Amino acid sequence: MPTELPPQSRSPEDGGEPTPDIVMHTDPRFIELKRRLLRFVFPMSIAFFVWYLTYVVMSAYARDVMATEVFGRTNLALVFGLLQFFSTFGIAILYSRYAARRLDPLASELCEELTGGGEAGSKDSGNSTEARA
Amino acid sequence: MNLLAEEAGGNRALTFGMFLAFIAVTLAVTVWASRHTRSATDFHSGGRQFSGLQNGFAIGGDYMSAASFLGISGMIALYGYDGFLYSIGFLVAWLVALLLVAELLRNSGRFTIADVLSYRMKQRPVRTAAAVSTITVSIFYLLAQMVGAGALIALLLGISPGETFLGMDAETAKIVGIIVVGLLMTVYVSFGGMKGTTWVQIINAGMLMGGAILISLMVMGMYDFNFNSLMGDAARASGEGKSFLEPGQFYGKEVAGDALQTLWNKLDLISLGLALVLGTAGLPHVLIRFYTVPEAKAARKSVNWGIGLIGTFYLMTLIMGFGAAAIVGKNAITEQNEAGNTAAPQLAESVGDYFGGSGLAAIMLAVIAAVAFATILSTVAGLTIASSSSLAHDFYNSVLRKGQASEQEEVRVAKFSALGVGIVAIVLAIFAQSLNVAFLVALAFAIAASANLPTLLLSLFWRRFNTQGAVAGIYGGLISAVSLVIFSPVFSGSEGALVTGIDINWFPLSNPGLVSIPLGLLCAVVGTLMSSERNDRKFAELQVRALTGAGAEKAAEH
Repeated sequence: MPTELPPQSRSPEDGGEPTPDIVMHTDPRFIELKRRLLRFVFPMSIAFFVWYLTYVVMSAYARDVMATEVFGRTNLALVFGLLQFFSTFGIAILYSRYAARRLDPLASELCEELTGGGEAGSKDSGNSTEARA
Repeated sequence: MNLLAEEAGGNRALTFGMFLAFIAVTLAVTVWASRHTRSATDFHSGGRQFSGLQNGFAIGGDYMSAASFLGISGMIALYGYDGFLYSIGFLVAWLVALLLVAELLRNSGRFTIADVLSYRMKQRPVRTAAAVSTITVSIFYLLAQMVGAGALIALLLGISPGETFLGMDAETAKIVGIIVVGLLMTVYVSFGGMKGTTWVQIINAGMLMGGAILISLMVMGMYDFNFNSLMGDAARASGEGKSFLEPGQFYGKEVAGDALQTLWNKLDLISLGLALVLGTAGLPHVLIRFYTVPEAKAARKSVNWGIGLIGTFYLMTLIMGFGAAAIVGKNAITEQNEAGNTAAPQLAESVGDYFGGSGLAAIMLAVIAAVAFATILSTVAGLTIASSSSLAHDFYNSVLRKGQASEQEEVRVAKFSALGVGIVAIVLAIFAQSLNVAFLVALAFAIAASANLPTLLLSLFWRRFNTQGAVAGIYGGLISAVSLVIFSPVFSGSEGALVTGIDINWFPLSNPGLVSIPLGLLCAVVGTLMSSERNDRKFAELQVRALTGAGAEKAAEH
């Protein structure tokens, strides 16, 4: 909330002393955290988006293929549709495991450093937390 | 004749009793919540004290509207496979929320999406734009739900034209239904704030899942748990044969001898698919749910629970839809409601009758009607709080009062805003009740995908993004989506259009997303590059806060 930020960050574009948040942005550990996040979420987003669009486009333009019966009354349209469900569940699981392993520890380390002592300490020592509350 | 109409009189008292029981429970929750709502954080974000599991259920109750419960199962019942396309778009969309939005938004905002959009920018223009788009999306969505709610309540109570119930005929019952829904959502939000709304949604999600599991098990039980034979029966009963199980009965229809119309129909399907998948992560009532948990990890967990619940539910709509096609039959469904909205309650009655005679049939019908009623209320309550939070926090406090209003003042304004939203929604819904407003849901998704999502993502990830870009992106996406719909066949110049008498139809698609989403993004990029404003330092601050959670608001202490 820019209107309620502590004075040192009220107008960060004016120059002056950079806030701890701004210094952190160029910290190698933060750059690594950002790299880990983007390296997972961007390719994965493109992948599921292309996969979903393929399904939608096939529903519109490849109806003969979609009508192929695989077993009994189950056709490819249903199989593709169900695969969209399972890929969604799968990506959610993969991301959560990746985040718990590769993102959360680093994020909380940096957060503790910025707010001076993490969860317990953040209430009285984290000036940014206090100011925005 | 079908059971729903014949035995309506006997069942009606039971159904009505279950409605009253749900209202009593939710009002009790509201009274409890009102005693625990003091600060702005309590009102807008439920004190951020909900767990990931609780918020996951609330997401389910908020997101799955009566349109998806009754609408999708009815659509599958009448048009087969095509209804399933909707389910898939609605589910896959949650990956955008999970991967790109939920945690970053939770860490960097407080109450509304405008908090994140305006973080790096000049406050007033961006907040105003974000509030305009939030309120437009929420009101359109709300209106579609309310208009549907009136008709649904009359149907669920089984009041056919010519009959009366408590002295009301079907037309009066519709209007009374709209008023009751409008009043209840206003009470939930004004008194219970986000705490009350969240609990209403949690209770609803439990009922919705329970009801759907019950019907699905009974349908599958009738078919010895053989889905292939259920599909075979549905295809036979539909009279369409094999093609009932294939895409193309409703969307992207092939018009023989008219290659151009066929092309538009197919592009319309793709346009709808895009709006569904990109719209969810831009819907304000969905996004503000992430603020109700104590930290980003809980936001992630709540999306995971949401995905699990929503996915399971939409898989069951397939069983319910095909079940209704096979067991109730197309004629019996369209006799009750042309759009198929009563397919699920009718199916509940039929399977109840199969397993336990007319006694169980009556109970099943009443249970499913109550689930549908709860589903309407939990979605409209979510939309109401999204609108009133944005009015109070973004428009009143940040724009009009330049951030100087006290918390008490903001909460008071939010409560009155909820009342205002409720009154406006009731009046508009009564006025629009004879109009075909189903397109408003698709329009709300298209606006969310064109105006909100691009600007949200650019705010979080594009260093160069600035005030002019955000404002241009929001208004560009909003205006292009709305105006393309005005020039589309759903508005005028076609059978079943909103207005008759004029014909300004030149845009051939009913869903604007295919054009308006790229246009919204383009406006945001061009607007940015045409302005020299840079906010690199605020961008650095926003990213650090969004990724690490430093400076993020914690749960309220009580």
